[in-house]
Amino acid sequence: MAINTLIVDDSGVMRSMILKTLRMTEVPLGDIHQAGNGREGLDILNDQWIDLAIVDINMPVMGGEEMIARMREDPELKEIPVIVVSTEGSRARIERLEHMGVAFIHKPFTAETVRDTINNILGLGENDESCT
Amino acid sequence: MKAALEEIMSQVTIETLEKLAFMFAFPAEGAGDQAEDSTVTGEVSFSGPFSGTLVITISVDVLKELTANMLGIDDEEESTESQRSDALKETMNIVCGNLLPAIGGDQVVFDIGVPEVLPSMKDLKDKAGIPKESTPSARVTLELDEGKCLLFLFLDGGIPENLVLPQSR
Repeated sequence: MAINTLIVDDSGVMRSMILKTLRMTEVPLGDIHQAGNGREGLDILNDQWIDLAIVDINMPVMGGEEMIARMREDPELKEIPVIVVSTEGSRARIERLEHMGVAFIHKPFTAETVRDTINNILGLGENDESCT
Repeated sequence: MKAALEEIMSQVTIETLEKLAFMFAFPAEGAGDQAEDSTVTGEVSFSGPFSGTLVITISVDVLKELTANMLGIDDEEESTESQRSDALKETMNIVCGNLLPAIGGDQVVFDIGVPEVLPSMKDLKDKAGIPKESTPSARVTLELDEGKCLLFLFLDGGIPENLVLPQSR
């Protein structure tokens, strides 16, 4: 199964890093979509079939927390798995996100962490040593 | 307190550069806080239990390597100024995001502002909007193969008296 993925981050360099890392994980990738903030992310989610959303928190226009909250209120979008990739260090904020059913990856991240988190949230099987 | 703060700043930045871009930095021994002529400076402000600004001045050659490694650009390719600016902003965001809980603990909430790249380094404090009379609460100079990376932490009102730093990581 190819995983259509949406990457939402206001940093083009970070979106490129996440994409580069995804390609290292051997997760079966489908179409990759990118957005610079939560508003653009929601627009893409409403237009495209997305299997996985990877979302930053601190972004202009609409942050990741609001984007995820709106996804969870939308019957069409609420089941889409979400991984938050952020520098957030507050346990209270991380727990609030986890209560919204998202997985959390702390920046800076390793390819192994990204692979394991994706495999876990999508139920793609056991972790292995496939990162190259 | 200042020495402990600087050690944490140093550790957080070294770890960030290594994990983010496979770049290895070392605390400079006996060096001043002057970077080379060709540098780029950025700042990011934060608020929370204590507020302030983190300023990073980085050699252009370090920034080029940082950008290339973050993007996976080949040696023959040259990153654009926009990519380098974006790479510095993201690096500042990550350093600041990891520094604050390392100083204040993970039970408190900080709001981190939007990182900005400043036009030049001629007058660091003016460009960063920091009053001339203020001195950094902590400063760190790191050496890399390509040049230097300087960090200045300006805390509003100085280091809080009730700040209890965790053990160095």
